[in-house]
Amino acid sequence: MRIAWRGAEFRLLLPILLLVPFGFAVTNIALSGAFGAGDLTLALGYVGIFVVAHLVLVASGHRGDQLMMPAVGAMGGLGIIMLNRLPQDLAGTSAVGLELGMAATQLLWFGVGMIAMVAIAIGLRDDGILRHYKYSWAAIGIGLLAATLVFGYEVNGARLWIDLGPVSIQPGELLKIVLVIFIAGYLAETRTLLTSASVRIGFIRIPPLPYFLPMLALFGVVMLIVVRLNDLGTALLFFGIFLTMLFVATGRRSYVLIGLVLFVAGFYVAYGLFGHVQTRVDVWLDPFADPLGAGFQPVRALYALGRGGVFGEGLGQGLITLGGNLTIPFVHTDFIFTAIAEELGLLGAFALLGFAMVLVFRGLRIAALARDDFGALLAVGLTASLGLQTLIIIGGNTKLIPLTGITLPFVSYGGSSVVASFIMVGLLLAISHRSGTADAVSDA
Amino acid sequence: MIATNVRRLGLYLMLAFAVVSGSIVWWQVVEANSLAARTDNPEVLAARRSLLRGTIFDASGQVLASSEVVDGLSRRTYTDAAFTHVLGYSSLRFGTTGLERAFEDILVGQTDPNPIRDLISDILDRQPQPRDLTLTIDRRLQDFAAAQLGGDAGAVVAIDPQTGAILAMVSAPTFDATPISGDPDGAQGAMDALRNDPAEPLLARARQGLYVPGSIMKVFTAAAALDAGVITPDTTFEGQPREERDGFVVNGFAIREHDLGGIEPALWPLSPALQVSSNIFFAHVGLEIGSEGFLDYARRFGFCSPLRIGPPDRGLSVGMSYVTGAVDGDCGPFGDDVELASAAFGQGRTAVTPVQMAMVAAAIAGDGVAPNPYVVKDVRAHADGALSDEVLDTFGSGGGTRVIGSAAAAATRDAMVDAVNGELGRLYAGQGDITLYGIGDAQSAGKTGTAQLGGEQAPHSWFIGFAPAQDGATPRIAIAVLVERGGSGSAGAAPIGGRVMAEWLRLSSGS
Repeated sequence: MRIAWRGAEFRLLLPILLLVPFGFAVTNIALSGAFGAGDLTLALGYVGIFVVAHLVLVASGHRGDQLMMPAVGAMGGLGIIMLNRLPQDLAGTSAVGLELGMAATQLLWFGVGMIAMVAIAIGLRDDGILRHYKYSWAAIGIGLLAATLVFGYEVNGARLWIDLGPVSIQPGELLKIVLVIFIAGYLAETRTLLTSASVRIGFIRIPPLPYFLPMLALFGVVMLIVVRLNDLGTALLFFGIFLTMLFVATGRRSYVLIGLVLFVAGFYVAYGLFGHVQTRVDVWLDPFADPLGAGFQPVRALYALGRGGVFGEGLGQGLITLGGNLTIPFVHTDFIFTAIAEELGLLGAFALLGFAMVLVFRGLRIAALARDDFGALLAVGLTASLGLQTLIIIGGNTKLIPLTGITLPFVSYGGSSVVASFIMVGLLLAISHRSGTADAVSDA
Repeated sequence: MIATNVRRLGLYLMLAFAVVSGSIVWWQVVEANSLAARTDNPEVLAARRSLLRGTIFDASGQVLASSEVVDGLSRRTYTDAAFTHVLGYSSLRFGTTGLERAFEDILVGQTDPNPIRDLISDILDRQPQPRDLTLTIDRRLQDFAAAQLGGDAGAVVAIDPQTGAILAMVSAPTFDATPISGDPDGAQGAMDALRNDPAEPLLARARQGLYVPGSIMKVFTAAAALDAGVITPDTTFEGQPREERDGFVVNGFAIREHDLGGIEPALWPLSPALQVSSNIFFAHVGLEIGSEGFLDYARRFGFCSPLRIGPPDRGLSVGMSYVTGAVDGDCGPFGDDVELASAAFGQGRTAVTPVQMAMVAAAIAGDGVAPNPYVVKDVRAHADGALSDEVLDTFGSGGGTRVIGSAAAAATRDAMVDAVNGELGRLYAGQGDITLYGIGDAQSAGKTGTAQLGGEQAPHSWFIGFAPAQDGATPRIAIAVLVERGGSGSAGAAPIGGRVMAEWLRLSSGS
């Protein structure tokens, strides 16, 4: 086992991981009014997870990207500081004899996710299992969806969850990964055909149907099931990931254009058919028309953003309550970005956005340097998933686009989302490691 | 190849992140202040509950509204019920209305009137400082006008025609707003009583009440016709004396004159016609102006759209006044000539607010320039119930809109002076003469109105006017008085108008 000193990763992790206990301490001081650090156990636990992971990667001689884990650490750090600041009874676990508050539960899932990430980053020596069994992966994906359809229970009108006794999971989160693997494999094999054998109508190119159809069919089935489950945010995300991967595989903007046209058409159909889609869009266009009813969530989020201003209200000092309840709804999931923007201001919001951009652009770099088409496309798909998810939920918070129920990776509360995101980063690190060892160039 | 595409993808994603960043900046920086001023903002709601609210003073520094914080909740006390419809109320349970609502974020101190200081406060995270308001209304005049209305329902609106400052704005019946704004325990009962009261005390009649104007509309018709050049002060209508007796037939419908009380109809030009308030004369004038012209002038004077009193973004809203039926939030076209002729003497489908008619009087008094009305004079630092010297912001630019030419305004003014002081006018609007109330050296101008409601109901009693109005004098007060179902204009509203104008001339010159 060769040791690889990951210097850049260490140097970047250090300040980020010092910031988390500092943030906890500031929160405690603000909330309790006393000048003491308070309970830093969770913060130290968070730091510990990343330190151990870093050491394991070093010990195993991992040569993958060194900026991703610090970016994850930073995003997750902001997230856990905010989750610690919020009332701990908003969510949590009480099972297997454990009583955990919200931040503690999130930390638990960070631990689980990190184990998965490191295991994949180190253990995935041969991506054949991903590449060659793509139809099996597709089948697993459909299976997950079917299980959700049959066994799932609804939360807020969307059937996303399966109850597994002590925990509930969201199969949709894992579905993302499975789908990306399938599409990457398929596109890697057929991309030359898809690019060269296209049919030209004017300046628009249409992809050759015989090669396109199987993927389109699968995609269509997935979308239908997702819409049936009423998870429109995930439908939007899948569509975005698909178009992104198609673009990178073929380079044809026409395909993306056709895809967007189909999307808009489908959207109009959905608008006409589904009442709740109509409500979402109307509320997005003018939430102040019904500020106490349908427009309640977006209006409250906008007020919170306004209160934050440039410098924020201060950790532990914003987030006013009315009658004992926080004014921002779903503040630990859908609107956690808003909570961060309110207390840490525009500067805090930009910091979060900046870390997300680091994650995304390192992922794209991994894709560009990948050894083969499959690895590149897989990297693009995973990066697109993380990036588009971030853009979609933040855009929903700021009324740029209608609000959807998807999570902000590493920041929103939710075990399935955390674990799935870690798995994605793990896969990206694995791809990065393979390019790294092949070129024998140290990554900096 | 893939690498190239990845690079392109990177650019698109960069663009997407930039757009999202822009949207964050939009709400956190650009729109932050307007979000903070909205009254359903939870921060504003929470602040209203627990923060001290600034004091509101009248023009001479008397306290009208003050707050104290009891048990963590902010309570408001009002000292003068005559001001209720101007100030509105600030109630934990029932929200805010009137000036309390329009100036909420300044009263509570969340917004600094000065944008630079506001930004600095935001950066330094200063605690909200309540701010005080000073009104343009002098308490003595407001109380005097309210006493004149006595137990009747109605409104008195008085404006300074040169500056647009509101001198008095009374709506009756009124109520004491302290029970609903103070101790939350008694608030519900007090509000229920107000809501169930058949006299409708909650209605701000001066701004929101809509009434048939009757003959006071003839002032507008005269001014519009003179400015349009379709009549001169000497114009007469040939058939008019006969029509006074037999009726004026328009489109097959006979318009009849009101009871002239024994006066013999004659060929009257503008001044006598206004003095006796001849419906026939003004029906002719209205037809001469034509429906297009009539609507055009109406809009110039402020009819057919909602008005605002005060700074544009923090004003008190005034209901829209109509000359025809409403269509899509504007005055619709006239149905036929009968409707046009009727509107010209203030019947038909005309419906006006007292504020609008005060504005008409102010425009004539102001030489054809309608002032921009405002009711808050300045914002000051809070000094615990005393009037602070530190003025933070002042309002009232003094600007105005020219609605008719000087010549037309002067001619209308002359006719209005005659309507109060002339031989015939004395029989109708003589009670509006300020010399009757102790002002020896000035004349007032005015017009009464008796708005027929149909059936057995007593008509609304109106008076509009201004003073001093003699040649060479600059009018200092323009007024509109309405007494709901008060009978004839001369009996109900005219004496109130005269007395209030006289009182203001006394208060504003002596003290």
